[in-house]
Amino acid sequence: MIERYAVLLSVVTYLAISTVSLCLIVGVATIGPGRLYRLRQNALPRIRELKPQIILLVSVLLVSAVARERLQVVSQLYGLYLTGAIFAFEGEFVAWLQATFATPLRTLYFSWVYVYGYVFLLVFPFVAYGVLEESTTLKRLMTAYALNYAIGLVCYTVVYAHGPRNIMPDMVQPLLFTFNPDVLALTSQINENTNVFPSLHTSLSVTVGLFALLTRREYPGWAAIATPLALSVVIATMYLGIHWLVDVIAGIALAVGCVFASYRFISPAAGETTEDTASAVE
Amino acid sequence: MTPSPATTRRAVIAGSLAGLGTASAGCLGRVRNIAGREGSTQMTLDVYTTPADADPHGIRVARHLEEHLRAVGIATRVNTMAEADLYRRVLINQSFDIYIGQFPAHQRIDPDALYPFCHSEFNPEPGWQNPFGITDLTIDDLLEEQRGATPEDRPAVVDDLQREIARQQPFVTVVFPDALTAVQRGRFEGWRRDERVSKPMRLLSLSLSGDDEGASGTGDGETTGDDGSERTEEATAETTTETTAVDGPSADATLRLVTTDPRVAENRNPIAAEYRRDGTYTELLYDSLIRTRGDDRIPWLARDVSWLDEQTVRVSLREATWHDGEPLTAADVAFTYAFLSDTSMGTADAPIPAPRFRGRSTLVTGAEAVDDRTVDVTFADAHPQVGLRALTVPILPEHIWSERTEVAAIAGIEVDEQTTDALVWDNPEPVGSGPLRFVEASPGDRVVFARNDDHFLDRGPEGVPADLRGKPAFDELLLNLVPSDIAAVEHVADRRADATVSNLGPEAVPRIGREADATLVSRQSSAFYHVGFNVRNEPLSNPRFRRAVAGLIDKAHVVDEAFQGYAQPAASPLANADEWLADDLRFDGRDPETPFFGTDGALDVEAAREAFREAGYRYDDEGVLLVREP
Repeated sequence: MIERYAVLLSVVTYLAISTVSLCLIVGVATIGPGRLYRLRQNALPRIRELKPQIILLVSVLLVSAVARERLQVVSQLYGLYLTGAIFAFEGEFVAWLQATFATPLRTLYFSWVYVYGYVFLLVFPFVAYGVLEESTTLKRLMTAYALNYAIGLVCYTVVYAHGPRNIMPDMVQPLLFTFNPDVLALTSQINENTNVFPSLHTSLSVTVGLFALLTRREYPGWAAIATPLALSVVIATMYLGIHWLVDVIAGIALAVGCVFASYRFISPAAGETTEDTASAVE
Repeated sequence: MTPSPATTRRAVIAGSLAGLGTASAGCLGRVRNIAGREGSTQMTLDVYTTPADADPHGIRVARHLEEHLRAVGIATRVNTMAEADLYRRVLINQSFDIYIGQFPAHQRIDPDALYPFCHSEFNPEPGWQNPFGITDLTIDDLLEEQRGATPEDRPAVVDDLQREIARQQPFVTVVFPDALTAVQRGRFEGWRRDERVSKPMRLLSLSLSGDDEGASGTGDGETTGDDGSERTEEATAETTTETTAVDGPSADATLRLVTTDPRVAENRNPIAAEYRRDGTYTELLYDSLIRTRGDDRIPWLARDVSWLDEQTVRVSLREATWHDGEPLTAADVAFTYAFLSDTSMGTADAPIPAPRFRGRSTLVTGAEAVDDRTVDVTFADAHPQVGLRALTVPILPEHIWSERTEVAAIAGIEVDEQTTDALVWDNPEPVGSGPLRFVEASPGDRVVFARNDDHFLDRGPEGVPADLRGKPAFDELLLNLVPSDIAAVEHVADRRADATVSNLGPEAVPRIGREADATLVSRQSSAFYHVGFNVRNEPLSNPRFRRAVAGLIDKAHVVDEAFQGYAQPAASPLANADEWLADDLRFDGRDPETPFFGTDGALDVEAAREAFREAGYRYDDEGVLLVREP
């Protein structure tokens, strides 16, 4: 037991250290050390300003953490069993993807992206949008995150499906787990193997990617990093045999919907211009 | 799924009705005759099994079958679900077309185990009782006949029974898998190549390694040989262990097992069919009157069993207490047999039998306590040797289970009159009398059992083989749940576990060879993989159709591909019991009864389709197998 937590702890620690250092490096490069420093004095008033979004996001995460197991039971009893339907629909696409493109180097890259790249992708926008003069972008981002999680949780309850590696064990190698069993300890702690539709890895990454594109005038460097990274996460979910193409398409649709909704719900405060509205006006 | 050409053709006919109709009045009657008929559509079958994480083999068999079903023009969907969900669907709700599963046995199969499996009497009952819904007089007669037959006559009856089952194929016996296990060297001794590791008796007879360092070179006392044969190397280890056990096991004597099966962490009810695989842990928690090992019967809770007459045995019990301190008496034994055949204890309109142990509970007509320590058990019309099987059911405490006899209700509403509280109870804190007692469980994570120091094994009782006296040698059994077979092997390799108990797949096995500390133990298991058909519904109610489907499975190829050779193809559910297997059902390179349409896994599609045509099915011009629209 203790050993298991020790493994988990070491994975989490490593994850935290690598995320923080990546954020620092990319932060200095794309935001600049001066503005980055401003985050410190900005932090307290910013948190006060963002109170509703913080409450929203934290409560969605809390509900997800507390209710997930119970909702899983609901899903088992009343959910739609869609594994067979998804497989009948898209067939062996994921197996083909792996068979065609898998090399050890790519596997290493996509495994890294799936775990570490993804966490960095999700954390960094807090830094980047936190140093901005206006708070609208960060509000929108957090609203979009919360929507992603909330809708994802509903979908996981309604749909009961296993991922490709569980259906095509011979064709789809569980690359991530084979290469890094410690990661397995982490992912199995937070993920049910029936929560595949939609792919939240995809939807959250695409959400960050879309925000990066929308704020490209402010942070051209970040847009250049985030877009390929988000795309890599999207590909990684299928390459590693974790998600179906259908999950990924649904994830992308969810991301577009959430970003759109966050823009509809949250308009810039009076007198504030956000980077993207400014560019839209030009 | 996909609209068949036939359906579209029908729509076209309907659409052009007006035009055709007006063209000629005489034609109207003809149009009515055509359009009035129900059209045909493609046949659809749903195949259910567990995902690869839960069992690496079932899904591979399912995919093999699915591919070939599609090839012969049947729309097939493979649905995966967790064990408890799968078996709730198949065994309790009986809502499936085809399932792929393992026979729930860890012992060599006695032919009588087929009695509940195939007898029509159990058709409406939930559990591993006739999950197929086969109702056949010939099979019923043979099942009854083998129960009463003398030892001389029984083999011939059992041969006929196997032939009849093979002919009708209510299920396809696919393979007998090897029970592969990764075992860590040097901590415990007594793992044997020839026996499944998770057998309760095997776990109980393990002994601690004499010294931790030097043990890896000694081969762990693994011996090969037949079931029930004398142990050789182990005998030397025993003397040392016995003293250790009596003095109290050393501080780190925790036996750590890993499994992918999460069910025992959620539910520990010995009679809940959907939560039990073969009942290893419930057998360690609950004692039975006798235990079997190979061909030996070991007097367990029963100190002695003597025949009063042809049908009745008198059982005298050992001193035993329940884990909660209450004494175990003959009344508990009498209660158990009554309870297993009717969990409502006579309060429901009709008996509600326990869904497990049905074959054995139907062997008993009554059990009566003579005094506190003596009970008389009366058998049904069966040969004494078969009847004794009934003494291997777990004995349950009356003071716990007699409170669970009411019809189950959710918030006061009775959902189903055929279900008692006892069947749906999670039994969170099981009170048994067995050599292990329950300590704690956290779902999705682990289960902890502790050695029961009050158990009679600790007192080195008479009648119990030497290797079980003073056992178990561990003072705690820790069962860790892991997400996949690969993770299970990693646990053993990293010295975080002593052995794996769930199935290991083709990717996991080579890893064992690469790890210095892990060793592979294997033995042909009785838990054969089978393809079960729901014969209650069309088209699987048709034995010709079932035989054609059976011919789509290349069992030898499945062994090579899905099991990497760690299995034996089989044509009879008794294939691993040499003395029972019918000679003409021996798998000799090909299946003797339903040979594969093709060679080396490659299906001869035309030959297979011809078999379906011969069974009376039709194809459209695009090769779609047609059925009447429902």
